[in-house]
Amino acid sequence: MQTKQLLAGCGRMIKIRNKKGQFKVQQMAFMLIAVILFFALVAIFVLAFQFSSMKEKATVLQEENALLLVAKLADSPEFSCGNSFGETRANCIDFDKVMILKQEISKYKNFWGVSNIEIRKIYDFGREKTCTSSNYPDCNTLKLIESTSSGYDYSNFVSLCWKEQKKTGTGQMLYDKCEIGKITVRYREKI
Amino acid sequence: MKIYNNKRAVEFSFNWLFAVILGVVILVLAVYAVTKMISTGGTETGTIASKEIGILLNPLEINFESGKISSISIVTETRIYNKCDNTGTFGNQIIQTSQKTFGKFSEPSFEVKFPNKYIFSGNYEEGKKFSVFSKPFDFPFKTTDLIYLISVDKKYCFVKMPGNIKQELKNLNSSNLLTENCFNSADAIKVCFDSDTGCNITVSYNQGYVEKNHTRVYFETDALMYGAIFSEKDVYECQAKRLMMRTKELANIYNKKAASLEQKNCNSNLDLGIFGILLGNYKTSRDLSGLFIKSNEIKNANEAATCRMW
Repeated sequence: MQTKQLLAGCGRMIKIRNKKGQFKVQQMAFMLIAVILFFALVAIFVLAFQFSSMKEKATVLQEENALLLVAKLADSPEFSCGNSFGETRANCIDFDKVMILKQEISKYKNFWGVSNIEIRKIYDFGREKTCTSSNYPDCNTLKLIESTSSGYDYSNFVSLCWKEQKKTGTGQMLYDKCEIGKITVRYREKI
Repeated sequence: MKIYNNKRAVEFSFNWLFAVILGVVILVLAVYAVTKMISTGGTETGTIASKEIGILLNPLEINFESGKISSISIVTETRIYNKCDNTGTFGNQIIQTSQKTFGKFSEPSFEVKFPNKYIFSGNYEEGKKFSVFSKPFDFPFKTTDLIYLISVDKKYCFVKMPGNIKQELKNLNSSNLLTENCFNSADAIKVCFDSDTGCNITVSYNQGYVEKNHTRVYFETDALMYGAIFSEKDVYECQAKRLMMRTKELANIYNKKAASLEQKNCNSNLDLGIFGILLGNYKTSRDLSGLFIKSNEIKNANEAATCRMW
């Protein structure tokens, strides 16, 4: 780069750069910044697009899991009646067992991969009475796994069976009681 | 750019030099970004495939499809890696996949974990189509359904098996689980019951162990026997441990249920508390036989009880 050296009146040496060259360097610097900004924006756009499509895919997979799970959950060992009510029953939930499961639910929080599991008696039209160990079986809703996250619900109809005591003339009688219930699972939407 | 008469001297102005350097940098960065994106895309596809495989196995995990063979087809040649960890309350079934691109298998995808699945297979199964079947594991109550995953390219030849196993395999009607005239087939893995001449896997059905690659694992129930045949030792031992972990939690639930029903005069008298402690002490498949004896005692007691727990 061409430089001129001039002797200033006060005796000091001053360097004066070529103004045209200075302008070119500035131009290059701006160009460089513009090019980097352009590619950064393109990268951000591509990543945002990929990330949103990934979230969408994750939600679809969660939905698929919930859909398949709700159809079969009543027959999993933690819920199923097995032979405890006289004969093998399919799609039957042992309410006594599930009440115990509720006490142990912290161990099962991520076991089925859904955010909520709720069991409800269908023909109990009164207001919602959440089941606890003190009011069981005089209740209509058991919230097994609860979370406040938003999502979509899938439900399936099931038999809900438990052992109930009835007073007779001679004392107490134990019998098997079954009602129609609904099991609902909710999958968490990826926001 | 100026070219002088002297052929050895070529002058580049700053503009040109800058453009060339920047161009090269941009091209290198672009190539790097595209390579990274392809690799990330592959990992993403593999991870989604792993999750999908796990979800597709849901119906098999819960009862109904038991005793039937199903298949999973994947468009590209895929390796399904079967891993297992036994940390936490239930441990995890881990699935990874890698797909063939440009004649080479990609790096395995991220690990996808399922605490409620028990898959028995080799360390990895390779192919485009996979056979899947399941069997319930009762110990003594139903614990889960064990899932067996085999590539259709892999053939198993069963030799001198007991009648019930032969019938079961025939009912499955699978093209890669052979029961007749297969011993001379070169590509089949020979599974021999109580004999070991020219066999890859030996099963001692009465003594309850399977020998494979000079290692021995123990089993109780047919469900675990298939698991020992189809899987590698590490996977088998880990899954057996996880099964005992889940059985322990179920024993605890049944024990508490029994206690709560006792208040309603519904007595069952099962030794589930002790069974739970024994299950907690489980270390390797060698411990299965002792547990199986206790499990049978509890099974008989439950069947005889006025108030059955399961």
